[in-house]
Amino acid sequence: MKNYLIAITFTGLFMVSCKQNKTASTAAGEEVPASTTREMSLPMTMDSLIANLKNSHNNQVIVVAHRGDWRNAPENSLQAIQNCIDMGVDMVEIDVRQTKDGQLVLMHDNTIDRTTTGTGKVSEVTWEYLQTLQLKDGIGHSTPHKIPTLEEALNLCKGKILVNLDKSYDIFDKCYEVMEKTATVDQVVIKGNIPYDQVEQEFGQYLDKVFFMPIVRLDHPDARSVINDYLQEDIPVAFEFTVPQDTISIIQDFESIRQKGASVWVNSLWPQHNGGHDDEKAALDPTTYDWFIENHIDMIQTDRPKILIDYLKSKNLHR
Amino acid sequence: MFRYIKLYSILCILWTLGIQQVMGQQAHNLSPSRAEQILAHLKNPSDTYIVVVSHRGDWRYAPENSLAAIQHCIAMGVDVIELDFRLTKDGHLVAMHDQTVDRTTNGSGKVSELTLAEIKSLRLKNAAGVRHSRQQVPTLEEVMELVKGKVMVNLDKTESKWVREAYQTLKKTGTVDHAIFKGNDDVKTMREKYGKLMDSIIYMPKLWPENADVVEFHNAYEKDLNPFYYETIFDTEDALPLLLAKTRMKKDGDGFLAIALWDELCAGRTDEKALLEGADSSWGWLLEQGANAIMTDRPQELITYLEERQLRTFEQKP
Repeated sequence: MKNYLIAITFTGLFMVSCKQNKTASTAAGEEVPASTTREMSLPMTMDSLIANLKNSHNNQVIVVAHRGDWRNAPENSLQAIQNCIDMGVDMVEIDVRQTKDGQLVLMHDNTIDRTTTGTGKVSEVTWEYLQTLQLKDGIGHSTPHKIPTLEEALNLCKGKILVNLDKSYDIFDKCYEVMEKTATVDQVVIKGNIPYDQVEQEFGQYLDKVFFMPIVRLDHPDARSVINDYLQEDIPVAFEFTVPQDTISIIQDFESIRQKGASVWVNSLWPQHNGGHDDEKAALDPTTYDWFIENHIDMIQTDRPKILIDYLKSKNLHR
Repeated sequence: MFRYIKLYSILCILWTLGIQQVMGQQAHNLSPSRAEQILAHLKNPSDTYIVVVSHRGDWRYAPENSLAAIQHCIAMGVDVIELDFRLTKDGHLVAMHDQTVDRTTNGSGKVSELTLAEIKSLRLKNAAGVRHSRQQVPTLEEVMELVKGKVMVNLDKTESKWVREAYQTLKKTGTVDHAIFKGNDDVKTMREKYGKLMDSIIYMPKLWPENADVVEFHNAYEKDLNPFYYETIFDTEDALPLLLAKTRMKKDGDGFLAIALWDELCAGRTDEKALLEGADSSWGWLLEQGANAIMTDRPQELITYLEERQLRTFEQKP
């Protein structure tokens, strides 16, 4: 018995020693992973990316990068898209707006003030003027990068990465022309917070040509009926669900929605998108993403694509 | 019986390991802290260790000037973290770059017109203004408690007004030797403002190319304060500060900090150029000019590059 106690004591001491060792090496900076951008994922063909997008039954999770890799390049820049391609991201979310003279460009805000060296509303400036400007980095300083046109962006994405074209619904005729010109119609997802009747009326001619994804706020009183309308009329490639609380009962239906053929997209961006299971928490503890996995969510839009991909890979849920 | 012997030998091994661990721990306590070693590197620039200065902390993966941005830098092995401090209405130094809190928090207003409590109620935004995080604006005291023993800081925006306030906090937290003050004023002005306090702090003057008297500016500092490091700014390859750094400063054995952030600070040899055109054309060029330290917005990439060139040998010769 005495020996047994001593053994326990020493084993404990040994374990403490190991722990101290580990902390020390972290403090010395040895355990910090080296440049993560170097480690490239296996390239996936566009056919398999599209097949995975259409398939709501497999266990592969689609990672969507919000505004491109905005940490390491200006948001909505070609470099931010290229970084996502190199990182093995499945889909890049970009924002499109139209200039006064009808050019489609990538820009998140209504104005160019925050992200470029110029000022003014996109809709009130010319493409010629925008070409004279530089994009700013995350702390607001100018970079060598320029504002891309939608055409340049789609040409870069062509055959390499799926695209979610945000803010495109109201200017979709023009966006579709560019998608046809660049032969990227089949790799772009359009979305809108709109019930089925309205989409059919406004967008009907495109519904069998492009991927349309309805956005549904799950705390909205009509949420369930909006979902059911889509499921009965025309099952979409995916639903984007906004989940303010993780106690909302529709979460229990995610599995059956996927069985019916629609993927389930939830943003990990902000706590109000996912009942508090957000990227900032995941950056400290990647098991935060277990909530998505456990609730059958198979498309995740993130501000932490690298951490999410690494975590999914460790669970064999990403190529 | 054999079983007991076996158990006994295992225990002996574990005990020895435990003792070694404890002794290692003690030895570690006696050796200088990482921050002290970094200061030694700054005071004795070498060709085998280039000092990495991170601009506003790791702002790509945490809000600029936040405790998280500092923690990331410590984990990455950064040597000096450049941070900005401003005085609140009620006299506290807080980490904030802009005059107002508008760009980097979910609030608005001038730092000088807000109390600490008001500022603490705000949350910092992520880079690119992408929503606010859970991080608060830290005070200088919180920053110094966090960095103590681990890393040095370069205090920006304090020089013209708040050196006294900052010094009080450094004294209180026992971190006077962890902070490098910097500034644009000449030595006479600094002496008039702060008198003997200038001898108690680490001060790094900035050499600007638009200063026509930069040689005299440098000379006056050498005669009075004799700083061991200069922040050297050059818009072109033949700007005077760069010439000073390559001649006088080398002769004196003083350190040369180059700023790779933006074109006009480093004759175009920026972090962006390093990424787009290759590090040799940019950071490599700065090293050829004799830079001993580089301030960067790409700390991880710079550290990786320097390690590949074996310019991060931290152990110092006795």
